[in-house]
Amino acid sequence: MNYSELTRRYFESPTGVGELSGAGVFRGAAGNREQGTWVQFDLQCKSGTLLAARFLAFACPHTIAVSAWLAEQSVGKAVTRTLPESVQDLRDRFDVPVDKMGRLLIIEDAWLAAAVPAIDYRG
Amino acid sequence: MKAAKIPVYLDHASTTPVDSRVAARMAEILNSETEFGNPASASHHYGDVAHALVEQARCQVAAAVGAAPNEVVWTSGATEANNLSLFGAAQYYRERGRHIVTSRTEHKAVLDPCRELERRGWQVTYLVPDGEGLLDPDQVAAALRQDTVLVSIMHVNNEIGVVQNIGALGAICARHGGAWLHVDAAQSVGKCPIDFAGLGVDLMSLSGHKVYGPKGVGALLVAQRKDGSRSARAQLAPLLFGGGQERGLRAGTLATHQVVGMGLAFELASSISSTETVRVAQPQRRLWQGLASIGGVLRNGSVSHSVPHVLNVSFEGVEGESLLAAVRPYLAVSAGSACNSALAEPSYVLRALGRSERLSESSLRFGLGRTTTTSDIDTAVAVLSREVGRLRDIAGARSGKVPDAVAGA
Repeated sequence: MNYSELTRRYFESPTGVGELSGAGVFRGAAGNREQGTWVQFDLQCKSGTLLAARFLAFACPHTIAVSAWLAEQSVGKAVTRTLPESVQDLRDRFDVPVDKMGRLLIIEDAWLAAAVPAIDYRG
Repeated sequence: MKAAKIPVYLDHASTTPVDSRVAARMAEILNSETEFGNPASASHHYGDVAHALVEQARCQVAAAVGAAPNEVVWTSGATEANNLSLFGAAQYYRERGRHIVTSRTEHKAVLDPCRELERRGWQVTYLVPDGEGLLDPDQVAAALRQDTVLVSIMHVNNEIGVVQNIGALGAICARHGGAWLHVDAAQSVGKCPIDFAGLGVDLMSLSGHKVYGPKGVGALLVAQRKDGSRSARAQLAPLLFGGGQERGLRAGTLATHQVVGMGLAFELASSISSTETVRVAQPQRRLWQGLASIGGVLRNGSVSHSVPHVLNVSFEGVEGESLLAAVRPYLAVSAGSACNSALAEPSYVLRALGRSERLSESSLRFGLGRTTTTSDIDTAVAVLSREVGRLRDIAGARSGKVPDAVAGA
């Protein structure tokens, strides 16, 4: 399979791999390793703002790249009830095949599982 | 590590580079003013010259596999040879029986024709090998029915390199009397000895490009026994009509340069087969030892009943598509999944061996050949050690922390 330059870059050199711990850290995961796609986000928030983000992913290159991009690009932004960028926009940005839309939804589920409880956290 | 300009080629089970001597001879024929004739043109000198070249190649192929020259039928490759065997036998013997026996680990060039025959009303028994990929000959014996007309079992498996006991199958089919034995031997030549006559095989598919010969040419061996072991030779209904070439079994003008290339490739392979197999065993051992040291690496297929040219392993804790994408800039290997769509399918061969879907997807097949060096092996081990570790880090599965759901067979 061919991947876009952006996908390859974030797949080969993903920033934000790992886990966070401590005050204000919220964890969300979705998917299933046995089913081939599993994503976890750790979001450190304070007063509605994302201070740090880390991810783990047992997944395809597209899923790893999108997860890494979200973890990198969302720091400093407000935590909301939606993804920082819509699934459709992420699909366009990373040139994700339509067959893999379900994997972007797993990313969304993992992100929101961590983000929604963090919205009202004030530290 | 920066990606090499040209990835290390470790996919010889997929295809091999054309031997320079073969390429030179083929080029000679393509450029010749006397060797371009139609081998079927019996009315002039040019046809005679081309015919002689084709017959010399027929002798070379036959000699390499223990067959008689008149048992060689040229085809466009092993896929056509497999199709000719399956459809040809099914069609010819359709009034006698419509049952075929094969295995779940055959090449698609056998399985797909079998499925098509099922759609047309034939019944097919798909035998399941053991966890090492080996068939028990008794399984074949038990599957035979009165209406069985063909047994199709490959010699060397293309994904895991496992060698089946063809001699035993030949004896079983001979005792049955009505079931012809077809063997896909596309992966065998140059890797292990083949004695077509001695194995009791009725039909055998061969490929040119797996043996450092050209693509686009192969052969089907059709036994013409005179030893009385069978009441008659296997009969086939042709797939192609229009000229009666190859004793009416395969119509169409022969490509002299392709046929000559395959003949020379088989002769060369035959002359170095035993020494090459011994030589390849050393880098294969080095590769396996290096990969095993990574940890969480499982070898697929029998170790004792396999050719050293193929090594198939599964990596725990990494996702299959990511594994292939990670090594692709550095290594040319085959994945355990068929990436012919956005969503890969796990290897049906490994699934038949009982491997989990995840481990089947996270497998790689290494095909070693004449050009494989120790340096190639060391590069492969270094790349895989680094990339598997990186992907396990991303998956949170490093240092033996392989999630239970991912580990295991």
